[in-house]
Amino acid sequence: MRRLLAALLAVLLLAGCSAGPTAETAPVLAGGASTLPGPVPADLALRPPPGTAPAAPAFTGALTDGTPLTAAGLWADRPVVFTFFSSWCTTCVARQDALSELARRHRDRVVFVGVAGADQADELQDYLRTHRVEYPVVVDEQQTVWRSYAVREPPAVVLVAKGGALLRGWPGGLDAAALEQRIGELVLAGSG
Amino acid sequence: MRLSTGARRGTGALLTLLSAGVTLLAGATGCAGTDGGPEAVSPITVRVLVRDINIRAEGVDCAGTGPYLYFHHRAPFRVLDPDGAALVTGTLPAGTAVAAFAEDLEVERVPTYCEFAVPVQVPQRAGYRLEVAGRPALELTPDSSEGPALVAVVPA
Repeated sequence: MRRLLAALLAVLLLAGCSAGPTAETAPVLAGGASTLPGPVPADLALRPPPGTAPAAPAFTGALTDGTPLTAAGLWADRPVVFTFFSSWCTTCVARQDALSELARRHRDRVVFVGVAGADQADELQDYLRTHRVEYPVVVDEQQTVWRSYAVREPPAVVLVAKGGALLRGWPGGLDAAALEQRIGELVLAGSG
Repeated sequence: MRLSTGARRGTGALLTLLSAGVTLLAGATGCAGTDGGPEAVSPITVRVLVRDINIRAEGVDCAGTGPYLYFHHRAPFRVLDPDGAALVTGTLPAGTAVAAFAEDLEVERVPTYCEFAVPVQVPQRAGYRLEVAGRPALELTPDSSEGPALVAVVPA
């Protein structure tokens, strides 16, 4: 009997050891792959872009979790709003909650993409969580994407049509109400 | 009171030890006696003018632009004396856009520079320099045209 108990104990101990420590799950980073858009809604109706609009600068960047993002891949399907920002930018802070809500309302129809420059990863994450930013965020450490869009300081907003036509840019940014109005006027058919 | 040689040596050693102890204590508390007491400081404003001539609405919060983007809200700074000792450390507030030209251009957004103003207290020194975000320090020049200030202009 003692031998049987000892054997059982040994099996239990071995089982406990072989299970090893609980696998640590990596935290889901705000602005990462989980924020990429879903399928384009079937009823999305868009205004044709003006023929005179220049092509938006194409770029590939990395999201906060390292996931590569190709801008042209996004605007192939639908309009894109780029918001250029930094966590230390006081105007960005003041406007971000409303912009986050606007992005949620347009999710999958008009894709918002944040482009964070001159920032620290931990401060950027705090900013994204505090202001409920639920769209993809490209980390533009050296501001190469900023420069390609002639962004010299945050905030700035750029609107790109489906297909990649550069419709408008706003140095100094826009508040959510003004941006919603411009989205209606410039890209969404049947509004504005 | 008369002491023997041995007693005098013992007393001398004790006094030396006591003296050293007092000196150490004074050094640790920052009270080094009448000669080395807390250094007098004066209030003054450090003003950094980033002359980027960027187009902004006057009065909005701003950062330096392009190569001067490291001048921004929360950027760490140090005010240094001529020997490189830090007199003040802190972080910059947001800058404020100031019209670069007096003319009324009749548009909302005009050429501006970005001014950062930080009130500090510094002891008297022969000169001061400002280091921001670990970049090479800038000379600060005394200027009293808008109250006592130490001014750096970027680019100078």
